[in-house]
Amino acid sequence: MTTNYKPNQPIWCAGCGHFGVQGALNHALKALEIPPHETVILAGIGCSGSIQNNLSTYGYHAMHGRVLPTAIGTALANPALTVVASGGDGDGYAIGVGHFVHSLKRNPSLVYIVMNNGTYGLTKGQDSPTKDAPDWAPEEDALDAIMLGLSIGSSTFLARGFASAPEQLNDLTIKALEHAQAGRGFAFLEVLSPCVTYNDTYPLWEAMVHDVDKDADYDSGDRSLAFTTCMRLKNDHRIPTGLIYQGDHPTLEKALLEEGARPIAQIESDISGYRPKLDAILASYRV
Amino acid sequence: MNARTQNREAESGRSLTTRAREDVTVMVAGQGGDGSLTVIAFLARALSQRGLYLFRTSNIASRIKGGHAAAVLRGSALRRGCLGDKLDILVAFDDEAIEKAGPSVADDGIVIYDVSRGPLPGGILPSTAQVIEVPFGRLAVRDLRRDLFKNCFGFGVLSRVMGLSDDEALDCLKHRFRRLSEEDLRPNIGALENGLSFADDLGMTVDHGLFRLPRLEKEDRIVITGNEATAFGFLAAGGRFFAGYPITPATDIMDWLGKRFPQFGGVAMQAEDELSAINLAIGASFAGAKAMTASSGPGIALMQEGIGHCGSAEIPLVIVDCQRAGPSTGMPTKPEQSDIGLMTQGAPGDIPRVVLCPGTPEECFEYGVLATNLAQVAQCPIYIALDGLCQSAHMVPAFDLDSIEIDNGKRLDDAEISKLDEYRRYAITEDGISPWAIPGQRQGMNLVTGNERNEWGQVSTDPVNRAAMVDKRARKIDSVRHQLPRAYEWGDEQANVGVICVGMVGDVLIEARERLTGHGIGLRCHRPRTLWPLPDDTVDFVKSCERVYVVEYNKGGQLADLIRSVGAPAEGMHSILKYDGVPMSVAQLVEAILEKEKAR
Repeated sequence: MTTNYKPNQPIWCAGCGHFGVQGALNHALKALEIPPHETVILAGIGCSGSIQNNLSTYGYHAMHGRVLPTAIGTALANPALTVVASGGDGDGYAIGVGHFVHSLKRNPSLVYIVMNNGTYGLTKGQDSPTKDAPDWAPEEDALDAIMLGLSIGSSTFLARGFASAPEQLNDLTIKALEHAQAGRGFAFLEVLSPCVTYNDTYPLWEAMVHDVDKDADYDSGDRSLAFTTCMRLKNDHRIPTGLIYQGDHPTLEKALLEEGARPIAQIESDISGYRPKLDAILASYRV
Repeated sequence: MNARTQNREAESGRSLTTRAREDVTVMVAGQGGDGSLTVIAFLARALSQRGLYLFRTSNIASRIKGGHAAAVLRGSALRRGCLGDKLDILVAFDDEAIEKAGPSVADDGIVIYDVSRGPLPGGILPSTAQVIEVPFGRLAVRDLRRDLFKNCFGFGVLSRVMGLSDDEALDCLKHRFRRLSEEDLRPNIGALENGLSFADDLGMTVDHGLFRLPRLEKEDRIVITGNEATAFGFLAAGGRFFAGYPITPATDIMDWLGKRFPQFGGVAMQAEDELSAINLAIGASFAGAKAMTASSGPGIALMQEGIGHCGSAEIPLVIVDCQRAGPSTGMPTKPEQSDIGLMTQGAPGDIPRVVLCPGTPEECFEYGVLATNLAQVAQCPIYIALDGLCQSAHMVPAFDLDSIEIDNGKRLDDAEISKLDEYRRYAITEDGISPWAIPGQRQGMNLVTGNERNEWGQVSTDPVNRAAMVDKRARKIDSVRHQLPRAYEWGDEQANVGVICVGMVGDVLIEARERLTGHGIGLRCHRPRTLWPLPDDTVDFVKSCERVYVVEYNKGGQLADLIRSVGAPAEGMHSILKYDGVPMSVAQLVEAILEKEKAR
């Protein structure tokens, strides 16, 4: 047997919500029996950007905000892989928000987990885009990534969990992985994951969360209902959690890849089979 | 008679004199949509069939429709990679074409002017130029009911001027429109025939055109742009992933690969911005695909973050920079060579990189292959620096597809991994290159990061490890140095005056040197083909000359700076710079060198 790297111990403060996220991801990968060598965890920059070091899978540390395009490139190069992109709210909703919007639009089959703590912990506590009424601009509204996701017609999986609700989080993480594995598209899971050092929102969020899946008349297949429910809860100073929306839309890989074709990640050392096609291209340049 | 020929050199009797030419530059200009490009394509076929070499470029306004559009073609018995100094023939579909291109017409040039839209503007053309006025548009509408056919009509007149036979002219149309049905082809042929007989009426017959072109032996040649040749090289080397963001003049590469990738199983993607483009390519490359991105100045600036990351995280990537006139948005459709500093020194931190700099389409193809191989071998960013070469079309001998060799470097297969006791992604090796396992391989699990890390890929700030890792990455370039192209050198070996240039300037220098021989000036010429790491031969060249002129298209003398920075003596080097967006003509370069030599 070949020895590989020894997984790291998390670098997070005791009580950090990210432990819950890692636990749920680990649990879901095992529950679905996804082998570590077929799993790639890509992470952004920040406290959350170290989760890929801890789980014995293939791990990739992207630049700040760039985890999604990197993950999409990886997923297209080898669709057999289970690709999990992860990062913080600063990474995903500030510096990387353009990529987030376009990932929702493109619908690639991969999982994106955002650990939302409303702060930039690693740089010692600056306000992030999800912080309501930040110190430097008290009139600004917090960014709600689920509602942003709902506004994009090709989004197919939008869920929100809470690090303090492990059962729900385990369930949502499994559902997200299943969504991507089934080739249904982009599975976006935001986890409320408090920063005990710079923005300890445990008590606040515990009082605010509302699991929509427990509402008898909630239907996660109904985008309009999801939107009005989120809007209503927001106005009531509540935070909707659960599987908020799941639907179907053609995926990016469906548009770009031929089904059953050899993944382009597996390079060929003998490319002589392509020679007639190259000859034809050359011929097209004869005047 | 609807037309008259004018010769301001009053009835000199030269109007129907036939000129034998082995080198002719023709411009067709008008508003976008007038068919200038089509007429040039017809002519390209005719000249190619005569065995002439071709060079084609166009000058199109940066707007979607309309605007002044000009296509220029040079046909020559000798291989040439730039335009002639002056236009021998100008086909002008409107007065703006005369205003813009008139001053470039040769003193003995011929101007075919479409008077449908107005009279010939006065005082612009050389007084000795010969003007043939033809109401193309009006005749095309009158006889064929469509303005659109004026390009075929115009080509008929042009064919006669150039001394082409009816069969040759017809062949050009049929070749260009080979996908048209008989029915759709017919009116085009009708327009051509009208043009031919119109010219006959003016006294230009098959045997008595104004030009007589040679018939030369034909070899197997193609006409291709630098962008196309570069993309072709990448594809031929097994490149299978491309991500880009639309930007002039690099977009051709994305379009080219997007069109051809499907039959090779490749993936071309248009990203939401250049940050995404380079990271999509990085993600695909990290997973194991051979990946490339392409852009121009402003986009390459955005990509610096990703390029630095590739250098640190040891990810193979080919980056094409189709340099255009900067800074900032600059002049998107005009060429320049002003990203030399950006490519050789850009990106934060110390990173290993290679910058290849082709000067011909063959080199674009060859370096497309080489860059793809080098990226795999050295696991780092490999630039291909293009300039105006990216969009001009050159006739060159057909590429040798048999010469392509693939090098996948230290990629491990599953069996090789399973034989290892340990797998460390960033193992420190003598050549600096670590064996590489990709996601999906059973026992190859590893961590990839742009942070400094230990051999296992775990983040580390240990000073001993840090220094060892920086050194390891630097060694990679030493280990591929022997594969990097050295300069192309030509000229008078005995001369003590040297000239250095890169990219598109090379072909101008080839002709300038020939002409300067006539002025009694012998030159040794040196065109570096790797900008980073700059091979020793350039410094040696400077040292071996009494004085060296460095010709480049930028204000700061970036190439000269680069050469000095690796040890060339500054005192013998003199810059010849151009940065107005217009490539230097041979005459201008000759003049510039003569001036410098005289001032001594």
